[in-house]
Amino acid sequence: MEKTKDFRLYLAFIILFAILLPLGNLMGFVSNNTISLWGRYFCFAIAALGVDLIWGYTGILSMCQAFFFCLGGYSVAMHIVMKGATASGTSGSAIPDFMVWNQINALPFFWVPFQSFGLALILGLLIPAAFAFVFGYFIFRSRIKGVYMAIITQALALAMWLLFLRNETMLGGTNGLTDFKSLLGLSLSSPGVKLGLYLFSLAGLCGTYFFSKKLVDSKFGKVLQAIRDSESRTSYTAYRILDYKLAIFIVGALLAAFAGMLYAPQTGIITPGRMDVRASVEMVMWVALGGRGKLKGAILGALVVNFLYSICTSLFPDSWLFILGFLFVITVLYFDKGFLGMIEKIGGGIGKKKNKITEVAEQQVV
Amino acid sequence: MNCTIKMWLGICLCLFIGKRASGQSDSTSIYVGHILYPSSDSARITALQKLVKHGEPSTFPFLAAINEKKIFLLDGQPVTTGSAQQLADGSEVFEIFYLYPKSQAVLNSDGTPKLLPVSSLEKIDISRSDRLSMAPILPYLNLANPDPKKRIIAYGQLLTSSDSSKINVLSGALNLEKDKEALTAGKEILFQLKLEQAKSETVAKAYVDSLDSNWGENVTLILKDYSVSGKLEGAKKYAAGKVTDLESLQGRIQKAQNLFSGISLGSILILIALGLAIVYGLAGIINMAHGEFLMIGAYSTFCVQKLFIDILGIKSDLFFFVSLPVSFIIAGIFGLILERLVIRHLYSRPLESLLATWGVSLIMVQLARSIFGDLTAVKAPSFLAGGYQVMPHLILPYNRLFIIGLTIIVVSLTYLMLYRSRLGIQIRAVTQNRSMSACLGVETRKVDAITFFLGSGLAGLAGCAMTLIGNVVPDMGQTYIVDSFLVVVTGGVGKIAGAILSGLGIGFLTKVLESFYEAVYGKVLILALIVIFLQFKPRGLFPDKGRIAED
Amino acid sequence: MKILQTRYWGMIMLAMVAALTGCGGSGSSDKKEGEGETVKIGILHSLSGTMAISEVSLKDVVLMAVDEINAKGGVLGKKIEPVIVDPASDWDLFAEKAKELLLDKKVSAVFGCWTSVSRKSVLPVFEENNGLLFYPVQYEGEECSTSVIYTGATPNQQLIPAAEYMMSAEGGAYKKFYLLGTDYVFPRTANKILKAFLLSKGVPKENIVEEYTPFHHQDYQTIVSKIKQFAAGGKACVLSTINGDSNVPFYKEFANQGLSAATCPIMAFSVAEDELRATDTEFLVGHLAAWNYFQSSESAENKKFVEDFRAFCKKNNLPGGDKRVTDDPICWAYTGVYLWAKAAEKAGSFEVSKVRPALYGLEFDSPDGVVKMDTKNHHLAKPVMIGEIKPDGQFDIIWKSNGLVNPEPWSKLTSPDKDCDHVAHGGTYTLTKK
Repeated sequence: MEKTKDFRLYLAFIILFAILLPLGNLMGFVSNNTISLWGRYFCFAIAALGVDLIWGYTGILSMCQAFFFCLGGYSVAMHIVMKGATASGTSGSAIPDFMVWNQINALPFFWVPFQSFGLALILGLLIPAAFAFVFGYFIFRSRIKGVYMAIITQALALAMWLLFLRNETMLGGTNGLTDFKSLLGLSLSSPGVKLGLYLFSLAGLCGTYFFSKKLVDSKFGKVLQAIRDSESRTSYTAYRILDYKLAIFIVGALLAAFAGMLYAPQTGIITPGRMDVRASVEMVMWVALGGRGKLKGAILGALVVNFLYSICTSLFPDSWLFILGFLFVITVLYFDKGFLGMIEKIGGGIGKKKNKITEVAEQQVV
Repeated sequence: MNCTIKMWLGICLCLFIGKRASGQSDSTSIYVGHILYPSSDSARITALQKLVKHGEPSTFPFLAAINEKKIFLLDGQPVTTGSAQQLADGSEVFEIFYLYPKSQAVLNSDGTPKLLPVSSLEKIDISRSDRLSMAPILPYLNLANPDPKKRIIAYGQLLTSSDSSKINVLSGALNLEKDKEALTAGKEILFQLKLEQAKSETVAKAYVDSLDSNWGENVTLILKDYSVSGKLEGAKKYAAGKVTDLESLQGRIQKAQNLFSGISLGSILILIALGLAIVYGLAGIINMAHGEFLMIGAYSTFCVQKLFIDILGIKSDLFFFVSLPVSFIIAGIFGLILERLVIRHLYSRPLESLLATWGVSLIMVQLARSIFGDLTAVKAPSFLAGGYQVMPHLILPYNRLFIIGLTIIVVSLTYLMLYRSRLGIQIRAVTQNRSMSACLGVETRKVDAITFFLGSGLAGLAGCAMTLIGNVVPDMGQTYIVDSFLVVVTGGVGKIAGAILSGLGIGFLTKVLESFYEAVYGKVLILALIVIFLQFKPRGLFPDKGRIAED
Repeated sequence: MKILQTRYWGMIMLAMVAALTGCGGSGSSDKKEGEGETVKIGILHSLSGTMAISEVSLKDVVLMAVDEINAKGGVLGKKIEPVIVDPASDWDLFAEKAKELLLDKKVSAVFGCWTSVSRKSVLPVFEENNGLLFYPVQYEGEECSTSVIYTGATPNQQLIPAAEYMMSAEGGAYKKFYLLGTDYVFPRTANKILKAFLLSKGVPKENIVEEYTPFHHQDYQTIVSKIKQFAAGGKACVLSTINGDSNVPFYKEFANQGLSAATCPIMAFSVAEDELRATDTEFLVGHLAAWNYFQSSESAENKKFVEDFRAFCKKNNLPGGDKRVTDDPICWAYTGVYLWAKAAEKAGSFEVSKVRPALYGLEFDSPDGVVKMDTKNHHLAKPVMIGEIKPDGQFDIIWKSNGLVNPEPWSKLTSPDKDCDHVAHGGTYTLTKK
């Protein structure tokens, strides 16, 4: 029963997003805007999977996922900008535009590796992973958890945001990186490339979903959930909690960075605005609203909240904050299992027994 | 005002008796006429230049009025406005002064000063370029200005003036100077001028000493300049030595200033974090909307001010004292409503409460924006303007002192409430063990509601205090919220003593680090320090003890 | 049960397809041009977030212009229908909203953006989709997009005249210049151009100092004492591109350290009436600002404009009501709508490819007097003014340019080899050396 249900859901998802939408786009029913919108939502959904792994399955509330997301985004953006500069630059002035008005004449050393696409990809994943490792190591070692963890990571996000805003860091300051022309020789403005990126993001989302599903169903995943439900009891049974937490924190950071890499070329700009305190809280919000502790919930939340954000800022420009605000409050108050729980309630599926078990488990999440 | 203008003229006259002995000539009044009623475009500027060249003291009030763009015509006579008075219907009227040939108040037939609104006077516009032609004479116009700030500027302007008799004029003016600050500033200029002209080393050294003991704003700068470009070798070395001494002294003063700014920032953080700490400790609620209660407090202050000035017509600083309790109560009531509608369902589910209150904060910010628009400011009460001068160069602004005082009072009251009252015992009991207290007959729901009221009210009070420092904008709550969360975490969640200690610590460290590095890098360093601190004290300064502390 | 479930899924699928395409394809059901009763324009100004403080006024004035035009019968017999979206000071959302306005809502023109990062964010979208953006704020130049009509000032319409004025005998014949700004693209570029200009006028290098502070900087003690030292010899002035809430602390510190407008005036390029509306102007009085429009302009058109704007804000219960002020960007946002309407009338069509050439050389009687679109480079020729700040937050106009100043998107000083021509060269081109 459960299996066929899942299968139908996947099928519906695939038919809708991998067949109907692209076909509609090719035939002209669905505008390019819709395609690139959903492409970007998929990126958010990938990042949300990371949040769900860390928070929903392990019970660590990290509020700096947007920072990891941006590290990924910036690395790809740096590569694109550099290629653009090399293509248009006359007589060896291959430095990005913003450095010219910053009156910097030589390429800073840390920009050099990003000239190669391969290196940019590797660094885009390596830097966030290393960051997550160092920061996570110190935090988990001192057994900071729950609220403490949330606030410390939030402060980290704030500090990094302030750093990226500065011009001295030579990452474009407030303006960030923009004017993306082409990636690997493909023009980013052509509809075909956009559709390609969309499909690639979709594939990325499916891939990361099945990877995450494998992960949480494995023994490793079970230990994570044990840590979530009772950290001390798990540690009494001789599991090295630090290692598990650190590993999942890094996985979450990698997922966020991967999402950021896909996000930047589709959006056409990456700025520090993407990594401010609000952005990270929003990522947590997606998962909370979608249904924490369920991978499907994370994806559903990211897609629905962002879709609503797009729609409401257009339909109700003066009052969308009220609408989203009330939605947050009401979902948290009355549908503590998020949209997924709401759908299941309405659908009246699944036996009640299982529900109770997860309820007990979730109440112990701190 | 009347007497000050007279005094001003008197001083002007006696200052210049020694300078230029010329009577009031006919040509002067002709030029004044040209300025008021120019026959051609160039006539005004020519006449103005002539007046400036003559430097006739009796024209100074007239020229000063031109410089301040407060020159009007009343029945064909040049006049300027004095202090304003408000009439019953809210309109403003001004005292009027004749400027030339004599500076005196315009009187009614019964001898009382005449009061007129500006609209009944004919304004004379004199272009900026014309006014700029008065530059050489500007210092003299303001040397006897009743406002000490203007006099300080005038002394400064003398420094660059090419007038050969400026030293005499300056020392003449300084003999009459009563204001301490202006006297120091004036003397500094005088000594500097004399130092530059000094011919022998002993004289030069004496002036270096005078400059040093006078200890004005720019003394280090002046002596440094002299030690580089002075003419007398011995005096140069002597000045350089003084510079080193002064710099180390200033370093110490800077430290004191940093300490003060740190305490002031810390007390703001404490005010905000206090409410946060109580609410979290009691109910396990992370209130992301806490900053918005601060915003509500600030807007209440704004409304009280509007009520006083626009509706009741009271222009006094009283409004601020009224708005302190008002902001506390209004923010508290909002907190109570929030508790009733939302928080009540989320006790002991900190992370859910975090998300729900995030939503609430979105709503509140938008609400404020649609009611008040985007930018408003509360005019700080006049008794909080300026600062207390501990010693030269160390001024503690009154508004910051007020906030520190307010914090001390609020913290002590909170302490008394928590540790010396029945309510306090109940709050602490519920904080320690909710179900046990409920069993023992504590009405936990009521305690929750009261605590939330208090916590939000404290944030409102903080908001009221914040209007003294900055603008009132809908998202003002977000500025300090992350910092105050950090205060709560470092202090130990739910601990008042912890909040105080860590608030002061973080405030102080921020300011100290800011003085070494730039603000941004200071912030990054603070964060690193907190993470390191938590390595040793993972549950803050004052952790809960016993088994209950672990999950 | 099974049948039920299949039906259930089918329904969900149907609903989802409808929702997705509904959001994307709402434009497809629109009538073709010429048939409908209305023509759509987009308004892309942040109504929430940090930039709302400045941008809301621009949304208001654009709506006012639309109301006025509609009251006179609209454009080409059609009423204008404004589509307002809120990009929420979120730069990514700016690009997304621009796409939506162009592709889904199919608007004929968009009025919007304030910060240069938001403009950079939407620029590729407008270029790819052949849109038309009216950008009303003064900016750093070095850009010449086919898809943007820049109604705000280029550097030579604000910076250079101001610097010239300060060097002239009338302005005070200043010889030393302290270039102070907030650290982002406009001040950086502005100061680059100013520096080049001053050097070309023979100001020695040591008499020019350049300095930047971060956004929201509050503590100007160190910088003002540097300025004081710099100004010690006299004949020095400050050219300030300090942005937003840093201004008040800067001017306060300036006065506290004994500097005044008489000894060392500050010429500001980012301080306008709307920012002074609620601030304490005590310390700003006597300092200068350069803009293309001031509310205090005496002309009858302007007085009517100011009155109308107040009446409009009061009528629609906008915050501030009849105490609202107008300023430079507000004037150009308003002018932009009229320029577009006039060009559409002239072209007899709303198609971007026809409206754009119709704009070239178009004249309009703005609140600022008659202004004229350049014949080839998408910018507006307009007068330049210098104002002195008064205690009530308004400006005394103390200097006005002789007639209109032509726009130079590529400054002749810093990019002498570049120019912008959309008629002959399709945008930016490099001059060949003769």
